[in-house]
Amino acid sequence: MKRRSAIKNLSLAVAGMVSLPAWVSAWTPESIGQVNSLPIPDENLLAEITETIIPETQTPGAKSLKVHQFVLRMIQDCFGEEAQTLLEQGLLKTDQLANIAYNKPFVSCDTAQRMELLTHLQTSDDPAGKQFVDMVKNLTMRGYLNSEYVLVNINHYNIAPGFYHGCVPI
Amino acid sequence: MAFFNIDSIKDRTFDAIVVGSGISGGWSAKELTGRGLRTLVLERGRDVQHIKDYPTTFKNPWEFPHLGQIPKELRDANPIASRCYAFNEDAAHFFIKDNEHPYVQEKPFDWIRGYQVGGKSLMWARGTQRWSQYDFDGPARDGFAVEWPINYADIAPWYSYVEKFAGISGNKDGLPQLPDGEFLPPHEQSCVEKHFTQQMAKHYNNTRPVIIGRCAHLTQPQPIHTQQGRGQCQNRTLCQRGCPYGGYFSSNSSTLPWAQKTGKMTLRPDSVVHSIIFDEKKNKATGVRVIDAHTKEMTEYYAKIIFVNASTLNTNLILLNSTSNRFPNGLGNDNGLLGKYIAFHNFRTTISAEYEGFLDTITEGNRPNSSYIPRFRNVFKQETDFLRGYAAGFGSSRMLDTDRSGFGESLKANLTQKKYGNWHVSSHMMGETIPKETNYVTLDSDLKDAWGIPQLKVSVAYDDNDEKMIADFHQQMTEMLTVAGFTNIKTNDRPDKAPGLDIHEMGGVRMGKDPKTSLLNKWNQLHACQNVFVTDGACMTSNSTQNPSLTFMAITARAANHAVDKLKKKNL
Ligand SMILES: Cc1cc2nc3c(=O)[nH]c(=O)nc-3n(C[C@H](O)[C@H](O)[C@H](O)COP(=O)(O)OP(=O)(O)OC[C@H]3O[C@@H](n4cnc5c(N)ncnc54)[C@H](O)[C@@H]3O)c2cc1C
Ligand code: SF4
Repeated sequence: MKRRSAIKNLSLAVAGMVSLPAWVSAWTPESIGQVNSLPIPDENLLAEITETIIPETQTPGAKSLKVHQFVLRMIQDCFGEEAQTLLEQGLLKTDQLANIAYNKPFVSCDTAQRMELLTHLQTSDDPAGKQFVDMVKNLTMRGYLNSEYVLVNINHYNIAPGFYHGCVPI
Repeated sequence: MAFFNIDSIKDRTFDAIVVGSGISGGWSAKELTGRGLRTLVLERGRDVQHIKDYPTTFKNPWEFPHLGQIPKELRDANPIASRCYAFNEDAAHFFIKDNEHPYVQEKPFDWIRGYQVGGKSLMWARGTQRWSQYDFDGPARDGFAVEWPINYADIAPWYSYVEKFAGISGNKDGLPQLPDGEFLPPHEQSCVEKHFTQQMAKHYNNTRPVIIGRCAHLTQPQPIHTQQGRGQCQNRTLCQRGCPYGGYFSSNSSTLPWAQKTGKMTLRPDSVVHSIIFDEKKNKATGVRVIDAHTKEMTEYYAKIIFVNASTLNTNLILLNSTSNRFPNGLGNDNGLLGKYIAFHNFRTTISAEYEGFLDTITEGNRPNSSYIPRFRNVFKQETDFLRGYAAGFGSSRMLDTDRSGFGESLKANLTQKKYGNWHVSSHMMGETIPKETNYVTLDSDLKDAWGIPQLKVSVAYDDNDEKMIADFHQQMTEMLTVAGFTNIKTNDRPDKAPGLDIHEMGGVRMGKDPKTSLLNKWNQLHACQNVFVTDGACMTSNSTQNPSLTFMAITARAANHAVDKLKKKNL
């Protein structure tokens, strides 16, 4: 119940972002850079976001596979400055939304709250939020699917299959 | 630093010099040493020894920091190399870096190069199709470029000779436009590829064959391959990293070690050939000038015969840079045609589609090859409004249909669930381009590279014929895919894709019957300087629709053996 109302408020806040008072527009991409007092977006938060996307079950999730480090590295080395900014601001925004909705940082939210937050960011009409979640989600899936754990234990990856069969029944 | 002590002329004199150690240079080295000639092989790049110098070959996907993707800094610094599909984290070390080897693009041309022992034989895709008489007939038939001085019959035994040694897999298809060779067992076609083959036979009365590609892989090694130290191809499809099994043909795994074993080869990496020395009194070439890649010191080496195998455009560059009183415009260039009539293969466009049948089957394992559609246009007679024709690759795979929605446990479960979608097929066009005088390379009069050698200026572009061919490919392939029951057919032309990415550039030092209209005779000797042989892509009079490298190999082996015969008769 509580969760529902929190999210409802949150929707209001973000949907009305353009016309709302200055404190709300604090997480637009343009203004974030000037807000020096905001917490530095850290690896830990990213790790929790990736874990929300691919959680630990009977098998390891993103955090224990260190998928967040892959995500960071890709954004840092391959994606260019724009993506780096998107990441920094996205992390910030995620925490801010968590604070608005649940009065606590993202890492302290429970699984359901985290999923609501990510879903909200992704479907809100703030394009940067959606881009951020899409980028992190895509990289998380890619990192996870190409992790040693998944390739070896789930896909039984073998560098030299030694064969090709052109027509095998599924 | 042993070689710096070599300063007496005798120590710098050999029977033969080979410039370049790539696909064609490797064959020159093997043939010349095999026939007993003390041969110096000069290679501008670093040494790359088989297996030992393949640093990524055993790496698993997760061991690459970027899962194979090139970091942005490297990509931005190398826009030309980055446009090549094989310039990835696992093989980038085999590609030259743009800024180290500048050239002038008078028109956009992506020049892809591998400067190292083995050249591009390490990174190539290993498609090896013979050319047919229809290919050699092209120029004589339509009057573009000059007539070839050789026929298919001249080269056929040499195809057999190199095929047996290199190891080519394929099926005997009995096609006039794509002669059969000495094949190891073919790869298998997938059910969708077989379906397409059958449909084409039915709807086009066997005039549009679709076959399994022919490629330089040891599907079943023969004694001649085990003697080279090579083994069965393991279907890893990581070939561009260098293959530890010698499963595919490369100079490094095959021809160079073979030449080494004769004890007659001296291989000098880091040796940039500057030019060929022409002696006016003897009226022939006596050697080459070499710049040390690191110290930039110049040394001369001497030999009775010289094979230029630096790859098409570099061979042009070296000859253009070999000036003397007798040849002020480049070695052998009495007619002013050196560097002209460059041609390439038009790889600009692709087509893709889906197939909704065979949904209860998949492929398993990997196949370092695909199916192939040999040229079916203008083969036996001129039937369209464009000249020559095109071949095409044709591949298939079963797409995974993964539900990627949502977050959390359900997403995680969905991601690793193997739900298959439709079959996906795609085909890329390989069009023959017409060699024209307006497609040329020259030397820039001001700009030099780091070794003081003039930069190459490239002026090569598509023409109307290419555009018409692309339109025809789209139209014909759409029709073919449609009658075979494929859906969701999409053409994808990329007009901004510059020539060059085919990596099949040819010409500039073409063969021909008449010294007035060609540079080389039918044995690949410069008409005007007969102890210099050019047997890489530069010698090609026209360029067929097939992959070229097998033909470079056959022509090289043929010319090298001829050169030795002549030398032995004291005729050179
Ligand atoms: C990704 C890729 C895919 C390809 N796929 C195919 C395919 O499927 N089928 C096919 O037939 N072909 C293919 N090719 C093309 C094929 O690699 C070339 O046609 C072939 O390697 C050319 O042989 P070459 O001996 O002329 O040149 P290279 O193999 O490039 O060798 C030339 C050598 O000469 C050296 N050199 C250059 N200048 C000098 C100098 N001044 N002094 C000393 N040494 C010098 C170079 O460093 C190099 O080692 C592909 C190429 C690439 C890169
Ligand atoms: S596919 Fe064959 S040739 Fe290529 S890397 Fe694998 S084993 Fe080697």
